[in-house]
Order: sequence, then structure tokens, then C-alpha cells
Amino acid sequence: MKTPPFNLFQPKTIEEAISISANFVENDEKFDWIAGGTDLLPNYKWHLNTKPNVISLALIDELHHLDSTHIGAMVRLHDLANSKETHPIIKKAAASIASVLIRQSGTVGGNIALDTRCFWFNQAEEWRRSIEWCHKCDCDTSADCRVIPNQNELCVATYQADLAPTLLVLNAKIHLCGPEGSRELFLSEFFELDGIKRNILKPGEIITHLTLDKEINSWSGDYQKLSLRKSWDFPEAGVAVAWRHAAQSSDEGIELRIATTALESIPRLHNDITNEALLNKYSINEIASKLRKDVKPVNNTAFPPNYRKKMVEVLCKKALHGLKGVLS
Amino acid sequence: MSKEIKGYRQQPGKLPFSKPGSGGSEPFSKLRDLNMIPESEGGKKPQPKGKNKHDHLLTGSSVGRRTPLVDSNWKVTGQAKYGDDIRLPNELIGRILRSPHHYAKIRSIDTSEALAIPGVLAIETGQQHTDLFGVLPVTKDEHAMAVDKVRHVGDLVACVAAENEATALEALRKIKVDYEILKPTHDMKKSLEDVDEPIHDRGKYHIGKSNVQKRVFQEFGNFDDMKNPHASSKAKWKFAGVNHGFTEPHAVVADWEPSGRLTLYTPQQVPHYVHRSLADVLKVPMHQINVHRTFVGGGFGGKSDPFPHEMCAAILARKTGRPVRITFDRDEVFYTNRGRHPSEIEMNLHVDDEGRICGIETDALIDGGAFASFGHVTTYYNGVLHTAPYEIGSFHYTGARVWTNKPASGAMRGHGAVNSRCAVELGIDDLCNQLQVDPITFRLANLLPPHSSTITGFRITSIGMRECLERVKEACDWEQKFRKLPLGHGIGVGCGFFISGSGLPIHWDPNKFPHATVHLKIDMDGGVTIHTGAADIGQGSDTVVAQSVSEVLGLPIEMIRVKSRDSDTSPVDLGSYSSRVTFMNANAAISAAIEIRKELIKATAEICNVSEDSLVIGDRRIYQKKDPAVGVSYLEALHKAQEERGALVSSGAYRTPPMGGVHKGAAAGLAPAYSFSAYAAEVKVDPETGFTEVIKVWAAHDCGRALNPLSVEGQIIGSCHMGLGQVLSEEMKYARTGGLLNPNLLDYKIPTVHEMPEVVPIIVESNDPEGPFGAKEAGEGPLLPILPAVCNAVYDAIGIRTNELPITPDKLYKQIEKKVRKLKLDSPLDLPNPELIYSELQKSLEKRAENHKERDIERKLNQEREPYYNGTIFGKISTIPPEEQDERWTLSVTPSEEYLANPRLAGSAWKHQEVRHMKGGET
Ligand SMILES: Cc1cc2nc3c(=O)[nH]c(=O)nc-3n(C[C@H](O)[C@H](O)[C@H](O)COP(=O)(O)OP(=O)(O)OC[C@H]3O[C@@H](n4cnc5c(N)ncnc54)[C@H](O)[C@@H]3O)c2cc1C
Ligand code: SF4
Repeated sequence: MKTPPFNLFQPKTIEEAISISANFVENDEKFDWIAGGTDLLPNYKWHLNTKPNVISLALIDELHHLDSTHIGAMVRLHDLANSKETHPIIKKAAASIASVLIRQSGTVGGNIALDTRCFWFNQAEEWRRSIEWCHKCDCDTSADCRVIPNQNELCVATYQADLAPTLLVLNAKIHLCGPEGSRELFLSEFFELDGIKRNILKPGEIITHLTLDKEINSWSGDYQKLSLRKSWDFPEAGVAVAWRHAAQSSDEGIELRIATTALESIPRLHNDITNEALLNKYSINEIASKLRKDVKPVNNTAFPPNYRKKMVEVLCKKALHGLKGVLS
Repeated sequence: MSKEIKGYRQQPGKLPFSKPGSGGSEPFSKLRDLNMIPESEGGKKPQPKGKNKHDHLLTGSSVGRRTPLVDSNWKVTGQAKYGDDIRLPNELIGRILRSPHHYAKIRSIDTSEALAIPGVLAIETGQQHTDLFGVLPVTKDEHAMAVDKVRHVGDLVACVAAENEATALEALRKIKVDYEILKPTHDMKKSLEDVDEPIHDRGKYHIGKSNVQKRVFQEFGNFDDMKNPHASSKAKWKFAGVNHGFTEPHAVVADWEPSGRLTLYTPQQVPHYVHRSLADVLKVPMHQINVHRTFVGGGFGGKSDPFPHEMCAAILARKTGRPVRITFDRDEVFYTNRGRHPSEIEMNLHVDDEGRICGIETDALIDGGAFASFGHVTTYYNGVLHTAPYEIGSFHYTGARVWTNKPASGAMRGHGAVNSRCAVELGIDDLCNQLQVDPITFRLANLLPPHSSTITGFRITSIGMRECLERVKEACDWEQKFRKLPLGHGIGVGCGFFISGSGLPIHWDPNKFPHATVHLKIDMDGGVTIHTGAADIGQGSDTVVAQSVSEVLGLPIEMIRVKSRDSDTSPVDLGSYSSRVTFMNANAAISAAIEIRKELIKATAEICNVSEDSLVIGDRRIYQKKDPAVGVSYLEALHKAQEERGALVSSGAYRTPPMGGVHKGAAAGLAPAYSFSAYAAEVKVDPETGFTEVIKVWAAHDCGRALNPLSVEGQIIGSCHMGLGQVLSEEMKYARTGGLLNPNLLDYKIPTVHEMPEVVPIIVESNDPEGPFGAKEAGEGPLLPILPAVCNAVYDAIGIRTNELPITPDKLYKQIEKKVRKLKLDSPLDLPNPELIYSELQKSLEKRAENHKERDIERKLNQEREPYYNGTIFGKISTIPPEEQDERWTLSVTPSEEYLANPRLAGSAWKHQEVRHMKGGET
């Protein structure tokens, strides 16, 4: 196995980075961003959609900033998991990612923008040739999707990153910068339901940082991850919950958010369920069961989809444990 | 003599010195208390563990000491050279073109475009190298590269040598292969049927037109008693295939030296077989080849076949005249595989009203993948290796190994014994549950005694099974835990039995050539060089031979150096498999050391003018046993012995004693000794998710004698980790397209450090009479019991029996759901916890176990013991083979018409006729 050669660019400022990317976009040259490389490089080794140019964000100082409301894209998962400033829900998710070694290199930006995964796709080149490729990396054969065949349009590869749901329930904003300037939006608007496109990043655009609300510490919650082993494994399902007592006294005033990951091509908030639950005073079990019905995993990860679906209910119950007594 | 000396004014020279040499005021050292000294050393007390043939050679130098492996410094400092670390000047990189199809004919291969790439020096295909090879002489079915057909995705098609890896890979892309795709078989059941194009053609030995590679039928015992059992346990098992998962991928360097000879550097467990196969494929005599074993980064059975890529490297090196290095990617390791067979095993156990195991009926269908490998043996092992440690009334086994279009299965730690052992031990747990007796008591009441014979005629010598069970029971606090822990928390027990060396050398008659040979050389410096072909694959075989020689010669281990790498200098050894190395190689080393010992003693006797009999060897000194002051240093004796002839050299060999039955297949599973083990595992199972967590394991293993307790413990702990992988998470998964879905170490789930429980190793020493200083094995046996111990603990925790491995949470959860539905429960947390209320049988089993314990001690110590045949517990006369005293006692290796009318799954392989027996069948 050999990583194909590429040109590496190492800008020191955001401006420099964007000018390099803008240049590529203009000339229609292919390139990738690289942060910690723990996702991109294994994919390159397997010859998955490799590009001739790679721009590293590692030397851009301002992307490394971390405090309780600001998380730079280049903050390492290890630092995020070990910082006193990190919100406990994010901390828990960060500490569950991959392994201790990978967390030393892996970054927040890379985790948010993580490529989607599928067992027909995350394989060596020879392997993929033996199934005659698939839509996501078709090597110009217009191969079909192997999970949902006969459609040839959509890739339903699974988004298996851990941080997103925790940032979603904490209502994080994501800040982007590209050739057309900077913009900020809620993280919930960032993802796009397409295993290939994945998110709304425009050509040449990067994630610079995420921000959280100043009152972030009034939120409590939990993150529950399903994976076969306690280290290394990508999540097979993940449920993040966050709540706060707005009126501080009765459960009337409770605010609740639930988000899931690793079940579909994007992580997402389940606001319909939480709104309905608060309105109708659902029990924890009822919420969990609704959540199960709301997710639609497909068969492209280690566990079968119906098991992952059922476990969403259990994870949700466990995550909401702190609300026992508040919710029935 | 006791004239007192007073004051210090005595003149020097006038001191009444005692006789020279005797030291101190007592002229002779006191004899020790004879009642404390074992018989074998001249005392009165019989050894509590029985005798061993090497007792008189003990010097206290090495045996039993916790010894760090002699090659560990290289490893921990990163200086060990593994396969890929061999970098010869001017090397080329070899890469292999592999088949993208499961099954296809090769119509043509066009290499012209690839050869034209600058930097590509050679491309070879199977057409030029058509000689067959294989690990077993009876089933040679592999080529260096596919000759006419590819048989699985990843099968070798062509190989390239180029200046660098990128160029080699580029060349692979440019090779054009025209395939005619054939219909593949992935389902082992389908492989039992006749097909148009079987995966191999075995000519007149082909079984019908099917894909059955090997079939076994065995019936021993009294089947009448089995027909109306008191209780039965029946289970249909599915075991996923697992891979060894060793750290170092295969790598090889081939170098045709200016002498015209080939040196092949390879991390091999069995260099000798590669040596033979290279000679076959390259058509050069064996003496023109030197196989150099590099450091081996883990083998576990996965590096014991001669491999096609080793042939490819040699072929390319010969063609280009330059060294060629081939290193695998991890997926290539999975395509080479030789891991544990995926199996479907039906296991029926029967007991009579006295709690005796009156019948074991096993039917094992095993998926061999595309090649034979060790499969011939595996097919036997799936049956015969569970005929002990229990005494049984009858044994019925049908086994079949079939070809499918998958990477070949082969030998893996616990070869052939692991899966069916797991099924037996769960069956026993189930029976005990039905009978409401304690499973440890049940086992203790059904063990074969030491120095007995199994139902299939294996000769059991030492057996530490009872002690294993007793010590585990105590260590894990069994009485307080079993069936008493809350829901979701459980404990279980499982046992194991494994060969310590295969009695039959595969390539020759055991009476004509030894299993293992060791040479020693000692020159003036006094250091001892051991030449051995035993392959240290990390298990510590270099250390064990060094220890053995150090022990006999009374030398510190630092004075011993082991040369075990080159076939040019090492005597032939069969390699590291079947847990044979300690038993056979150390035995050979001891024999060689005895020769040197004799010479040293002779020289000392001459110098000191005493009789040879009176001399013993201690730490670097040879002296009179009764007067240790009379003697010389080791070097003095050595130099005296060298006077006439320079360096001392000696050779020692080991051959198994004649043993075993005469029926077809009698040699399979026959070993000069067997290891025994009993483990208890404590687990937590989350009924809501199906996750199993193993929290602690107590692991008692009878290794005969722990020559090096440190590495015995290491082997036990490592075995637990490996076995836990198979029971909890590891599995070679196949996609619906038939391809291997997870040929990488992210998706092939080996337990991490977080999944690894605390393991308490308990070493049991039964002191085998023929083992080196009493040792047997600790390499493979310790893996067996962990699987059933965990499964039985899962049952104790949530009352659910698994019949499918690995017990991944999704599978266990399915069973939980099913049970919840069946019992109409609200939640899995309401599952009933299994109970144990002793039945009347418990008392009688306890009594029998007590009696048997006494019987066992008596048999161990009594050197005039009579034979003991399996069947005695059922009322047969113990000293006569049961078939000679009971007409109904069957011994058959071919199925009857009656059986064939309604065969079991693997048994149905016998419905086909071998081509040579068919009427008019072409041969
Ligand atoms: C064995 C293994 C196990 C793993 N287990 C887990 C797990 O359990 N949970 C989990 O969430 N992840 C897991 N990962 C994936 C990965 O390691 C982490 O998600 C990590 O956070 C990725 O960050 P990175 O900096 O290494 O990303 P990179 O590999 O550098 O980049 C990943 C992707 O994001 C893009 N990208 C990176 N930074 C930016 C940016 N600032 N703006 C725009 N695009 C950007 C890159 O172009 C690339 O497409 C695992 C990886 C491995 C190899
Ligand atoms: S979901 Fe379909 S298109 Fe996407 S990676 Fe998997 S098989 Fe390919």
C-alpha cells in the first residue's frame, strides 16, 4: 500500500491558505485540506478519491485557540478532552474518539468535516476493484451504490464522528472562511444529506472555529456512544442530550435537545421529538422509543442497522438518566 | 580431629589443617535427611509428582527460574530484524498481482505493457512454475501463482520485481489478465454437493464431483448405552473463521548468492517445509538452499505453511540476479489467512443416571477455503481432540472439510481443537444444569486417571486436570459465586486438553528419523553454542533450549548461545507447531548435553582420581557428591576433556516412543504427552444491550513443569487475549458478494487493552515422566478453556446459551429479545436468573470424585501400575482394552449403510464415492 504522491502546501495564515485554495478553485485544480490527517491519510493510502494537492492547516496559529466558548478548528482532540474549559458533554465525546494516539493528531475541524464511511468504500483499491467499485469512488465507471442499488445518485455512507451531536445539542455556531469571505451559521445548518458532498462547505472554504453561547454552563447533559470496543472503534450510534431548567424550579421550564450521530449520512438534532415530548410530558422511555423510530440507519457499518436502531433507544434512556425524576 | 586450637600465636604451617579438600572442621559434609530426599536422588521419599527421566540431571541452574527470553533485548531495543528489516544492497521490490474474482479460469495474461515500464525488471506468472507444493505431502495443491484457475479473491496471479514499490504497483495495474468467470461457492454446505467444476481436481482420490477435501468417520465404544441416556444436551454451533492477527505481516527476502545458492530470509515457524517446497518449485536440490529464519513478529500457526509469495520472491531473485523483497499489506495477510476454520458443529452429549458421559456425538463441517493447507489434520482434530480429559462410553465423530472460494483456512493456535472443545464444555455445563449438579464436581467425577488410554487409543501420561479444577475453584471463590450472582453478572468454567507435539512427523517414518535434533559445541572459552532448527517465533524456544543445556551443564544461561536461524548450520527440526518445541527440542538438547556432561565428568574423574559415579555438576563446578570440596572448575574439566580433540561437540535427538492404535487415522492427535487446563471467567452482561465484559479470569494450566514460569504465564495471558477475541469480537466477515468484508485491523476486531480482563495465571505441574525435566506444553492448550468459560459465564449471568461465536452484542441481544418475547416479560432486566438446587446426584458425584482423587495419586506414584483403559468407569476391566472384553464395543472408521441412509451434515460427505472406487470411473 502506498500513498500516491501529492504536493503539500503549508500556509501560516488563514489569508494565505485561502489564497492558495482560491487559486486552485480558479484553475479548476483538485485539492484537499488536511488537518491532523488521521482520516484523510488512511483514505489516501487506500486510493480513495486522492487529489494531487493537499493544503495543511497545521501551521496556522489562530486556528489552535481554545476556551470555553471558542473552539479552533485545529484544536487537537486530546487537548479538547483534557481542557478544564471544555463543556463536560463535549469532553466526554472527545475522550471517546478513536484511541489515545489518534487523539494526539486528530482535530476538531477534521472531526466535524470527517468523511462519511461505508464498508463497501473504506477498503483497499484491489478490494474495491473486486466489487467493481461503487458510486462514491467509481473510478469513472459510473458504478452504482452498493447499499441502495439502482439509483446511482445518492451515497448513503454513514457520518461516524462523535463531536457533532454534542456541539449540536449545545447549539454551537460554526465559522467558515473562503475565497468569498467569512460566514457563520448554526452547526445544525452545516451538514448536507449526501454521503459524498457531506456539508455545505464551498470550494476553497475552511472551518475556522466553533463558538458556544456564554451561558453554555447552564446546560447539563450526556453523550452515549455505541461501539464494539472501548477504543479505536468509530461510533455505530451516538446520542447526545442537553437540558436546562430555564425557570429553575418546575419542569415546565425545562429545555431539552437531543442529537444523534453515526446513524445516517449526517448528524442531526431531533427537535420535533423534544418539542413534542415537552408539550405532552413524555416519559424518558417514550422519548427514547420515539427517537428510535426517527432514525434510519442502513447496512454499511459493523453492526446491523436494526440493532443500531434498537440501541438508540437504550442509549437515549441512558443519556437522559440525569433527568429521572424531572421527566417521568 | 577435634583437638582444639587456642590463641593466635600458633605458627603458620603448624595449624592442624584438616584433610585437603574437605573444608572446615568436619571432614565430610553431612548427608541430608534421606526421608526428605526423593527416591530418584537416592533418598527414601517417593516424589509427590511421580518420576521424571531427567530428575538426576537437575543442577538448580535454570529450570523453574523466571527467565527473561534470551532474545528479548533485541526486541525491546528495536534492534530485532524481522522479515521486512532485511535490507540487502541492490534490492528490488516484489509485488503480487492478485485475483479480483472469486473463481475464474485464466485465459491469458499479457505482461508486455507492464514490462515496458522503466524500472520493471521481471514479471513472472504461474505458467512457468507449475510444480505443486503444500504443507502436507498428501495434499500438495498450491502453486507459486495460479496456473489455470484463480480460486479466491486475492489468489496470486503474477509477480513483479521493480526498482521500487511505486513502479511495481504501476506494473501490476498494466498487466492484462483475461478471465473466464466461473460460478463460485461460498457456502460450505453447498460444497458437500456435486458440482460441475470442483475447486480442485484430486484425480482418482477425488470424492465424487464434490468440493469435499477430507472426510472422517469414527465410531468407538458402546452405542447401546447411549441410546437411552438419562439426559442429553444437543446443540448446533456456528463458529466464524478467525485470523491469527499477528503483528508482523508476512515479508520475505530472496537472494541468489554468487555461490549460486539461494538464501531465503523469512519469518517462518517451519523453515524446514519451506526448504522442501522451494526445492520442489525451483527444481534445485535442497543443499543449494539456505533458509534463514528472521525474527518472527508473531505466528500462531499463520506462518507455518510454505507460502506462494516465498516461491515468488525466489523466482524473481533468480530471474533478476538481485535480491528481492516482498512485504505484505495487511489485506494480503488476510488473503493468505490459514486462520481457524469457520465451522458448523453439531454436538450431542449424553449422560447416564450415574452422571457418567455415556456418549459424545460430534459432526463437524469445516470450511477450508480454497486450499488444503493443514486441513487433513484439522478434520481429525475436530473430533479426536475432545476424547479427553473425560472418560466416555462412546464416541461418534463425522467430520468433513470442504473447499470454498475463500482464503484458505489452516492451523491456528489450538489447531482444530478449539471449536469443538468449546461445544463440549458448553454441553457439559448444560447437562449439569439439567442434572442440577455442580459442573466442577461433575468434571472431577469423570476424569481419566494418569497413565491411561483414551477411547481412541491415545496414551495419556501425566494429567494435572484435577489439580487445575481444584485450584481454579478455590482461587475464584466458586462456591460463593456460581449461580449466586445477580442478573447480568456471572461466572463459568471450562476445560481444555491439547497435544504436546504431534507423534507423527509429517514427512517421514518416526522410526527412521528423529523429530528433533540438537547440536552442541564448546570451545576453550567455555561458552556453549547450541545449533537447533527450532523456530523461535516469540514463544521463547531459544530460551527453553538454552535453559535445558544450562541446567544439565550447571552453567549460567549467559554462557549459552543459540544459533537457530540458518538451515545451513541447524540440524533439521520440524518447526514450531503442534506445541512440540519444548517437549521434543528440549529433550533433544538434554540428550546432547548429557553427552558433554559425560565427557566433563570423565575428565574430572581423571584429574581428581575419583570414580565417575561419585561426581555431580553444580554451578560451574564438577565435584564429588559426598564431598563437594573434591572437584574442579568447569573450565578445568573442559580443558582436560579437550586435550586430545579440541572443541567438544555432541548431538542429541528426540523420537517419540511407539504408541497408539492401528485404525485409519490413529496417528492424528497422538502425542507423547498432553496438557490440561481449567479456567473460570467472571463476566458482566448488559441485558439491555447484549454487551459482554469479561472482568476476571482464573487460568490454571498443567504444563507438566514450568521450565520458565515467566513465559508460561505469558503464554497463558496471551492465550486468554487471543481466545477472548474469538469469543467476543473477532470474525472474518463475508459480504453478500462473497468477498471478505474486513481485511484490516480496524474492522477485524481484536480486543484492545480495555477489553482485556485481569488474568490470574495458575501454573499446575504434573511432572510428565518423559517431558524435558517434566515439561509438556503451554503454547496452545491454554487458549482452549477461555472460550467455554466465557460462554458458560454468560449463561450464568443471563440464562442464555450461545451457539454462535463470536458473541457480539447484536447477536446476543437478538437472543435476549427472543427470550423476553417468549417469556412475555416487560424488559430484559426481568430475565430469570439460572438457579442451582443440588439433586441427589451431587452427593454421589462428590463421593466418586473423592475416590478418583485417591486412585489418581496412587497411579501417579506407583511405578508398577497396571494399564488403565477408557471404559473402566462403566464397569469394564481396567487392564484389558474394552473391545477385547465386550463384543458390543465398536471400533469403526467407515460408515455403515444404515448410517448413510440418514447421515448428519458433515457425515453426508460419505455419500459420495471416491473416484478410484467408482465403477468405470476414470483414474
Ligand atoms: C483507527 C481510527 C479510529 C477512529 N475512530 C474515531 C471515532 O471513534 N470517532 C470519530 O469521530 N472519529 C474517529 N476517527 C476519525 C478521525 O481520526 C477523527 O475524526 C479526527 O478528528 C479527524 O481529524 P483530523 O484532523 O485527523 O482530520 P483530517 O484527516 O486531517 O481531515 C478529515 C477531513 O476533514 C477535512 N478538514 C479537516 N480540517 C478541516 C477544516 N478546518 N476545514 C475544512 N475541512 C477540513 C479534510 O479535508 C478531510 O476531508 C478514527 C480514525 C481512525 C484512523
Ligand atoms: S453508500 Fe453506496 S455509494 Fe456510498 S460509499 Fe457506500 S456503496 Fe458507495
